[in-house]
Amino acid sequence: MRERSLIPSFQRPPSKVVIRRAADYHHDLASLVLESLSEFQLPVKGKTVLLKANLVGLDPHRIMNTHPAVIAAARDSFLRLGASEVFIGDGPAMDRDTEAIVESIRLREYIGRLAHAFVDLNIDDVERVYFQTHASRLKELYLPKTVLGVDFLVSMPKLKTHHWAGVTLSLKNMFGIVPGGCYGWPKNVLHWAGIDRAILDINAAARPDFAIVDGIMGMEGNGPIQGEPKACGVLVFGSDPVAVDATCCRIMGLIPERVKYLAGAGTLLGHVQAEKIQQLGESMASVRTPFAVLKAFAHVAG
Amino acid sequence: MEAEPNSLAESVCLHFLREAQNADGGWGFHPGSESRAEGTCWALLALIELAQTDDSETIRSGFRFLRAAQLRDGSWPSTPGEQTGCWVTSLASWVLLADPDSPKAVAAGLDWICKDWPRDGTLWRRLLVRFSSDRHLSPINMAYRGWGWTPGTASWVEPTAFALLTLQKCPQELLPRMARHRRDLGEAMLRDRMCPVGGWNCGNPRVYGVAGEALVMPTVWALLALRQQPEKRENSLSLAWLEGNIPHISGAASLVLAQICLASYGRKWPVGAPDLHDFISRSEPPQNVQVMAWASLASSTTRDWLRPKSKVGGILIDA
Repeated sequence: MRERSLIPSFQRPPSKVVIRRAADYHHDLASLVLESLSEFQLPVKGKTVLLKANLVGLDPHRIMNTHPAVIAAARDSFLRLGASEVFIGDGPAMDRDTEAIVESIRLREYIGRLAHAFVDLNIDDVERVYFQTHASRLKELYLPKTVLGVDFLVSMPKLKTHHWAGVTLSLKNMFGIVPGGCYGWPKNVLHWAGIDRAILDINAAARPDFAIVDGIMGMEGNGPIQGEPKACGVLVFGSDPVAVDATCCRIMGLIPERVKYLAGAGTLLGHVQAEKIQQLGESMASVRTPFAVLKAFAHVAG
Repeated sequence: MEAEPNSLAESVCLHFLREAQNADGGWGFHPGSESRAEGTCWALLALIELAQTDDSETIRSGFRFLRAAQLRDGSWPSTPGEQTGCWVTSLASWVLLADPDSPKAVAAGLDWICKDWPRDGTLWRRLLVRFSSDRHLSPINMAYRGWGWTPGTASWVEPTAFALLTLQKCPQELLPRMARHRRDLGEAMLRDRMCPVGGWNCGNPRVYGVAGEALVMPTVWALLALRQQPEKRENSLSLAWLEGNIPHISGAASLVLAQICLASYGRKWPVGAPDLHDFISRSEPPQNVQVMAWASLASSTTRDWLRPKSKVGGILIDA
């Protein structure tokens, strides 16, 4: 079982976040990702790794899901860093036919055979997890054994705005570990528990060890499904998912402290404040690309 | 009448299901995974529909697993250890109608289904929505209440369809008094939630003014649940949507369910449409129990699993 102790943010050292530029998915992403991961001395040698991608729906134009080229580059990089096995997984929230989603983005063309590499987290075996944080009304959830059992968990979202949460990045991406086989499609129990607070409980219970955000092509407006594609040309890396998400917000021209769940996450799960984030790679000014948000989130725009 | 399975169903799918049964009598979602009520229900529906003589003990032990998994309030949980029932209750009640030893379990299940109201359509919530500035964002009629995936949440298309199919399958004399009212509301809810161009997604026909896109699986379950009124506009529009989208199907689960749906409406499988055999043999990630069960059911020409049962001389038979 993965370690899940919580450290108040004021006791945490500053978090390192790396921003890299990649104009498109034809870029040599494998080298770029490996080079970026090498900044972090990740303890993955001989370990099992799960890349938790963001696969929200059928996506033949590959604009709403984590792009398979980024997933493949991450998989290749973790294997090169000595990981014993690298799995890819998600539990899509709206469509039960996970195979159809995976085929729609042609993941197999990038990864090869999926039979032992891909895990449909919606129908994985599960284990009861009691929440320590009690941010939402949820006291417990059944979560996939694959997520709880791997040594190293990587959240790999797409850079998107979200019509209910403001933004969907590495923390919101963790909704996808909640199994549809227990809670349905969509996982409506999370909405009734309060989306912002449920994000905190889930991330406290199954904390990602690392985040890689696919911001080469993002989505603005009515995301996570019906928004407009937005070219941003970045990949963002970090071992503090809160700091990574806060940095992504700043890239999108949004104020992370005004995203409700990020503000909450900043107390116990990681750093939101810019002064606590050691930013490497591209400068913020050079990659800043304002994203349109729905009226309900106008207050989040900087 | 014993339905005749085709070679794919017999040689691949049913064989897969028999091999995937766990020692406790249940099925998980994959071979070797923990038994769950839902996987067990789909496997049993397929085996009952296409049963061979030597399947009887396989089926009986599956029934025993389901009876043991039922909670005190009559519902079934999604996973062992969970103490709250869910949508699986519809599937388990449906399956156990075929078990002569389970009338009490079925009655308790049906009773739970009829008393399980979603939380989104309460008078209080409807009042709140009426005065909310967001009321135009998802214009659905909340007075039409179906069923949720889990108790205390909102109505969604697939659990509503599963409940309706179960209530339709059940002989009238076994149904709780509330059943007729729930059926009417559930059917109205499904029709109200259809996407503007036909078909259904999980239950959001329009979000923030943008039309929702339909998906194959919810469309199939909704069409099967509403098939007793095939002349209705929603049925014809959604069948047309489904037929038009068959060439784009990229998953085995969607493909087999589309086959079941078209066959149940007497429609022919479109010429040049994807072939199930190719999908099953290619299927990655590895085939799961549900897909193999649905593929078996797609081969049934009698479709007894969807036909209502009647009670004759104290015995339930397919009508």
